[in-house]
Amino acid sequence: MAEEFEPKIVAFLCKWCSSAGSDLAGVSRMEYPANVVPIQVMCSGSVSPLYIFSAFNKGADGVLVSGCHPGDCHYIKGNFYARRRLALVKKLLEHIGLEPQRFQVSWVSAAEGTKYTQIIKDFVKELKPLGPQTKLRREAQ
Amino acid sequence: MTKIEEIKATAKKLLEEGKVKYIIGYEQGTNGWLSNPVFIKKPEDVERFVWDPSCVHNLAKFLVDEKRRKSREKQPDKRPVGVIVKGCDSRAVIVLLQEKFINREDVFLLGVSCEQGGVVDDKKLAKKLGKKNAKKIELGDKDNLIITTEEGKLEFPTTELLAERCLECKANVPLIFDVLVGDKTQRPQDKPFKSLEEIEKLSPEERWNFWREQIEKCVRCYACRSACPMCYCDECVVDSINLAVAPDTSAEEKALKIRWLDKSTEKSENFVYHLVRAIHLAGRCIDCGECERVCPLDIPLRLLNKKLEKEAKLLYDYEVGCDVNQPSLVSSFKDTDPEDFIR
Repeated sequence: MAEEFEPKIVAFLCKWCSSAGSDLAGVSRMEYPANVVPIQVMCSGSVSPLYIFSAFNKGADGVLVSGCHPGDCHYIKGNFYARRRLALVKKLLEHIGLEPQRFQVSWVSAAEGTKYTQIIKDFVKELKPLGPQTKLRREAQ
Repeated sequence: MTKIEEIKATAKKLLEEGKVKYIIGYEQGTNGWLSNPVFIKKPEDVERFVWDPSCVHNLAKFLVDEKRRKSREKQPDKRPVGVIVKGCDSRAVIVLLQEKFINREDVFLLGVSCEQGGVVDDKKLAKKLGKKNAKKIELGDKDNLIITTEEGKLEFPTTELLAERCLECKANVPLIFDVLVGDKTQRPQDKPFKSLEEIEKLSPEERWNFWREQIEKCVRCYACRSACPMCYCDECVVDSINLAVAPDTSAEEKALKIRWLDKSTEKSENFVYHLVRAIHLAGRCIDCGECERVCPLDIPLRLLNKKLEKEAKLLYDYEVGCDVNQPSLVSSFKDTDPEDFIR
């Protein structure tokens, strides 16, 4: 029997909320799929659209950007900027025909370990039927 | 007095009084109907200026070059540079001013409304003429254009030859100027974002197939980047030359250098390039259509930029190039920005 497809997710987690939230999920021994490669960034507002395109380019099946809830940003307004920018990225990716499920944004606070696990579970569940992301992936040379 | 006579008279006066360093405008081209950009320094040369629907170039691009040139000069000429601006060019100047790339006192804008409301699209014209070559385009007395070819004259209604962007243009009159030449002649606007309708009707898979076919053609000549008045970064992120390689740069340093994308013209790399360009122009692209015009492979690049312009309008009610004092799209936010896509 063929092995089930396991999507690879790149998650950009902000240092102050989402990364701490994922940490909480870890230390609380909550179970969630091991498909995520977390990358800690200083703020969701520091995530350049290029990071996202580049992640898809280098073989990610899904990309998650997660930051603090609006109003809770460590840098006061970083996630407000992120909200605008990421909305445009999402629209652009949909415009070129990438499946909209492949790019997700979420707000996860440092106390929301359960929410984080739920988001990852849902994300993996949505990605599985789509299969590997080949549209923007660089062909192996 | 027709517009062109008025342009010449105004330009002559400015140059004679020495108010401007030089004036950037259009002259009769050397290759067929298309006009050339021209830099006029002497008052007696103003006769070279032309003004007709073949003046397609966005002259705001030259302001970017001028800034670079000036920064290299030891004793720069402090006088402003005169530029002839159409509606779209004036919006480009507004964005450059908004981003504080150029100073208002460094430019002197001669605003002109587009003749018959737009410029000719070379692809549309080529389709109409078949194998014949257009030598000259003249304005007809009604809403039509007279094309001179080697086999005589042909007449077409203006709307059939105007570029798509001109038909959709929200303001073919200059929005910012020091001198307005001629009257403001606004043409009735076609549906805004009309060119997007077709592609938005497609299913995601069909859209992907469309874009894959288009983007795969790209040879990465970067003509779109060179022609764009908004692509003025000194170093472009797609160039991968940002690492200064010195004799003592170690192999490890070179290896660790992030390569966001390869130089090769593979589909995946081309996509990253075009997506990055589109997102960098979000809220800045003023739809002058230069990228699409200069593309040697006819990739409909406008559709990428136009899509983001449309989303900016729908989501944030942001209009590009209307107000110098408006904060730019991605460097501002509202508490009420939609976030229904966020979990």
